[in-house]
Amino acid sequence: MTDTLIEVQNLEVTFEIGRRGLFSGAAKKLRAVDDVSFDIKHGETVGLVGESGSGKTTVGRAILRALEPSGGRVLYHGETGDLDLAHARKDEIAKVRGKLQMVFREGGLDLATLGGAALRAFRPRMSLVFQDPYSSLNPRMTVRDIIAEPLVAAGLMTDRKQIDARVREIAARCKLNLEHLRRFPHAFSGGQRQRICIARALVARPDFVVCDESVSALDVSIQAEIINLLKDLQEEMGVSFLFIAHDLSVVAQISHRVAVMYVGKFVEYAPTEALFFNPRHPYTHALLTAVPQADPDIEFRPERLEGEIPNPAAAPPGCRFHTRCRFARPKCSAEEPQWRQVAPEHYVACHFVDEMDFSRTIA
Amino acid sequence: MVCAMRPTHTGKAGDAMMLRVENLSVSFRTDEGMITPVEGVQFGLDAGRTLGIVGESGSGKSVSTKALMRLLPNSARLSANTRMTFVDKRGETIEIEKLRPGSRALRRLRGGEIGMIFQEPMASFSPVYTIGNQIMETIRLHRGLKGAKARELAVETLSKVGISNPSARIDQYPHELSGGMRQRCMIALALSAEPRLLIADEPTTALDVTIQAQVLDLMHDLQRELGMAMIFITHDLGVIAQIAQDVAVMYLGTIVEQGPVRDVLQTPAHPYTRDLIAAIPRLDRLEHRLHTVPGEIPSPSARPTGCSFRTRCSDAIDGLCATKTPPVTDLGGGRMVRCHRHYPERTAT
Repeated sequence: MTDTLIEVQNLEVTFEIGRRGLFSGAAKKLRAVDDVSFDIKHGETVGLVGESGSGKTTVGRAILRALEPSGGRVLYHGETGDLDLAHARKDEIAKVRGKLQMVFREGGLDLATLGGAALRAFRPRMSLVFQDPYSSLNPRMTVRDIIAEPLVAAGLMTDRKQIDARVREIAARCKLNLEHLRRFPHAFSGGQRQRICIARALVARPDFVVCDESVSALDVSIQAEIINLLKDLQEEMGVSFLFIAHDLSVVAQISHRVAVMYVGKFVEYAPTEALFFNPRHPYTHALLTAVPQADPDIEFRPERLEGEIPNPAAAPPGCRFHTRCRFARPKCSAEEPQWRQVAPEHYVACHFVDEMDFSRTIA
Repeated sequence: MVCAMRPTHTGKAGDAMMLRVENLSVSFRTDEGMITPVEGVQFGLDAGRTLGIVGESGSGKSVSTKALMRLLPNSARLSANTRMTFVDKRGETIEIEKLRPGSRALRRLRGGEIGMIFQEPMASFSPVYTIGNQIMETIRLHRGLKGAKARELAVETLSKVGISNPSARIDQYPHELSGGMRQRCMIALALSAEPRLLIADEPTTALDVTIQAQVLDLMHDLQRELGMAMIFITHDLGVIAQIAQDVAVMYLGTIVEQGPVRDVLQTPAHPYTRDLIAAIPRLDRLEHRLHTVPGEIPSPSARPTGCSFRTRCSDAIDGLCATKTPPVTDLGGGRMVRCHRHYPERTAT
């Protein structure tokens, strides 16, 4: 067994958009994720950042096949052997369910669109950690039943006592008070609800959890606690995380490696320190300068990105960032840049990467 | 302007101050009895300055500013000694707490003198009217202009907030615009009445960092240009550091510390401010573990006796913090803190 857990190769997700009504022709295709390749190791946290509409959530969902990828492979190196999640049959997926979990943001996700069977097949091995823990917990279930759900739904455990023991174990690890298990979720604060979501995600001992904007809605002090908790649980259980967030400082603290996405494509993927202190892509650098620091003596000079992120349905030709890039040259609008390695584990897609130097000093 | 936030015990000294809030306490009658989400809040603001208010959920930052606009529900009660005075455009002093609901003076205050913007732009806009319609209505109400003149001014305001092609955008409906664009239109709506004070309640929280940077930049420029004062409510100390000159840190309904931004962020005096600053993940330092504030914020219906932060404080003094409410201590230089550790006479008590 290699130390790689998930290998994403040339992943592609397309959505059909526009009316397929009486008078319109063929539906238009929107490529939400375009030729994305990266890997995630055992026990590693990979951060995924980008502006809204960049396709980060779609990547997370496509890996777990909560939606159907239209191309590429997602190799899952599990205990029972390798499996290509992008092409696996339902019964093959059923075998690994519980090992892959997901923690979502609520907002834009419409659970109904996931399709009953596909969703049910996956739920136990995927954990969902939502951005808004208030609306993602079933108000009619006790906390104990909410946490136990992945075990029960996957049929991983049937004995009530066994389930109770496992729920109590994971609840204690997530620093939930055991007497809370009999209560209903409305009685809990945001931080506690997020702990419940995390306990549910980890109850079936998954290999891999997608956390989609899991701490974005929390106050800073609670956010810090949840980040520390995720780090502790990772150390204990060896679980891998794909941590999707728009807050760069949070991603910097939790991730081992970080990928930056722009209009459906990866522009840079590197170890955290390299990405934050020696970014090579102009977009990564622009994002970093846009974060205000809590120190009035650190000069705030956000690099101006003209306009807004392009609509993926009308992605610019060549390098997708060229419309907002201050270094853009004719080649950038004509030719798509290669995804290439510039240092160990450091990948960038930019024609002029050799000329870019944005390195910052480490405090 | 020497200092925006003068010590509260100097009484009449703040005559020139545009806004002065004293002893602001708000109570609500609930099923669980009376709760007081805001208690004894004091602050002042000079024209053209920006005050940042930081605090976590439940700290009372939104309730305090809504009280300023008299936007609280009927179940809310202001304490008898609450004083909120505001010097309006004509130089007259308005006693906000005495304004009658539905009165002309109150309608003029809202929007015309004090504007407000929110995290969610759709809270300001009606979905069934065009952006232009709504801005022109504000202009008609607060500036007395009609027809073509009002439209002209609306277009001008939209271009001021960086909307490209404003004469076409003016006829669009809010849902036709992107998030960042809507945020700008909301700012334009608030600005079109030319308020003396703008209250911004988490206006950039839902935005991407790149758009947030644009909006902060814009608000900074507009303020310089229009000489408008701002109260900026956020939980993001990074935003505060960049936009405000003064900051008030709230915890469980009271201001625990206030003063110039640089001083408060670099040498915080209150243990809560220290914890809060340490808990922020930073971009220039990668840490193995983040600092956390122990425990959770108590519910406003079960406020701890004495100092409300003592249940989570690593620096609490036995037998003192649990029994006595810490008085406000003036640290000089416009800084104020509510903590027994800084109260010089504590040994005597």
